[in-house]
Amino acid sequence: MTTSGANSLAAPHPEANGFGVRSAGVTSPEVHTSGNSTLADSGALYDRLIVERARTPQYAGRLEQADAQGEGKNPLCGDKTRVELQMMDTHISQIRHQTRGCAICLAAADLMAERVTGLTVLQARDMSHRFSAMLVGDSGSAPDAHTETSALGPLEAFAPLRAHRARHRCAELPWVALKEALSHVDV
Amino acid sequence: MTEAATREKSRQDLDVAAIRQQFPILSQTVHDRPLVFLDSAASAQKPDAVIDAMTHTMRGQYANIHRGLHWMSERTTEAYEAVRDQVAHFLNAPSRDEIIFTRNSTEAINLVAHSFGALLKPGQAVVISEMEHHANLIPWQMLRDRAGIELRVAPITEAGDIDLDALQGLLADGKVALVAVTHMSNVLGTVTPAKRIAEIAHAAGAQVLFDGSQFVVHRKTDVQALGADFYTFTGHKLYGPTGIGVLWARKALLEAMPPFLGGGDMISTVTFEKSTWANVPHKFEAGTPAIIETIGLGAAISWVEAIGFEAIAAHEAALTAHALTRLADVPGLKVIGQPKERGGVISFTMDDVHPHDIATLLDRNGVAVRAGHHCAEPLMRRLGLSATARASFGVYTLPEEIDTLVDTLVRIRNFFV
Repeated sequence: MTTSGANSLAAPHPEANGFGVRSAGVTSPEVHTSGNSTLADSGALYDRLIVERARTPQYAGRLEQADAQGEGKNPLCGDKTRVELQMMDTHISQIRHQTRGCAICLAAADLMAERVTGLTVLQARDMSHRFSAMLVGDSGSAPDAHTETSALGPLEAFAPLRAHRARHRCAELPWVALKEALSHVDV
Repeated sequence: MTEAATREKSRQDLDVAAIRQQFPILSQTVHDRPLVFLDSAASAQKPDAVIDAMTHTMRGQYANIHRGLHWMSERTTEAYEAVRDQVAHFLNAPSRDEIIFTRNSTEAINLVAHSFGALLKPGQAVVISEMEHHANLIPWQMLRDRAGIELRVAPITEAGDIDLDALQGLLADGKVALVAVTHMSNVLGTVTPAKRIAEIAHAAGAQVLFDGSQFVVHRKTDVQALGADFYTFTGHKLYGPTGIGVLWARKALLEAMPPFLGGGDMISTVTFEKSTWANVPHKFEAGTPAIIETIGLGAAISWVEAIGFEAIAAHEAALTAHALTRLADVPGLKVIGQPKERGGVISFTMDDVHPHDIATLLDRNGVAVRAGHHCAEPLMRRLGLSATARASFGVYTLPEEIDTLVDTLVRIRNFFV
């Protein structure tokens, strides 16, 4: 897949592309913004970071020696995520996912993997709650929401999903798999 | 046919602009775009005639039916029962007593599975096809597990037609009591050769049920010409309200079948020791029915018949041809199924772009389509897919709306691929 298509989003509609594409994600590395400056849409769903990670996941695959694994399935659409963990003491040292699903699901799995790497089991569970809370609009209410271990970071790219309840399951599926994997970890 | 010719043909067949003015919802905008509603196969929009008939009932002519001895009840009963006549005419049923009002097609099929199923003996079989909606699958699985009957599945061909030779093979041992198949697939758009299927079923001593939920919207239905024994459809896909569906069955079958639900209205005499049942159709209509919705269905049928199925079929055939031509130009897009005869339902996939992403991004542009397994999981498995996107057309659909769909699909593909 190439990234060149991103510039062809300019739609006949003069004000917006209609895709709700935001020009940059929270921690998106290199974002191609040329020609897209007029495409911002407050209802943005397909953040550039999400699209990039769906195209080119950084944490896809399997671990040779996994300490725990979990699976999430969405019977409504057939999407499926399998997560494998490697632990070092109480911390998640490595995580990989195998995901068959939509862009939201794929990117959610990849950004989840990125965000929980290095966290403890408890911190990862807490992150899962924060992510769910963000989807229903409760994010930021916790006093320590922005400390190093608890900030959502790149996961904030999914905030626009608030307005798309039907897609919440897509973003939460990897977390279902992660929770199952964590339940098999002895701490 | 060229695009211009398609549009011209479509306009000759139907005054779509005038029709659209009768659907208040179609003038809405979604995400600041004009609504392009291509999800009529899931549920169609409602014309003023239906909305008005229902509000008129609630505002000025409503009471419970059948039991009342007062003027308002009698008038409402007349209006309700008049729809039974209308439906009988709509399906060309031999008798009005063969029309049973249900909640939807699902309930109609459950009624048959329960009450016709009660007549079946362990070892007998029911045949469905590989492309059934769950509504025409789960009730038979439930019957199988409860009554010890066998459930057989007729395969479909690669093109998406029922394999009639294989169907015949499934009937060869004479154990099949019922063939229950769709008259038009909600996923592939396949119009099944119902008359031929009825002949095959009858030759093997089986009855035949057609799920007409999709078909009745698009073509004239004649249960006698088809040789059907059972036929079901639902009101809400036929521009009518939700909550009202129809089962038609031959009277001899209905009379032999025990009731489905028990309660008021379906009885003849009641004592604590024993009760007897009302004659058909009332034996199968327990409790206060969906009076207002039934009257709404009557208005929908009148409305559709005033347009005429000839014009509707021609309009939808032109739209479908236009859509297939235009969709063929979208890189990476694959239309699922090439059945011999197709209605205005088109399922597709597009490279690796997930159908949910397609549907969400189309929606951002005001285009409403369905994405998922379309309540036909076994069919998806047969096709080797987890989901498809589906565009479906109605009497109000414009060729320009299909152009919007196609143009947006091209942009979505460029976005992802």
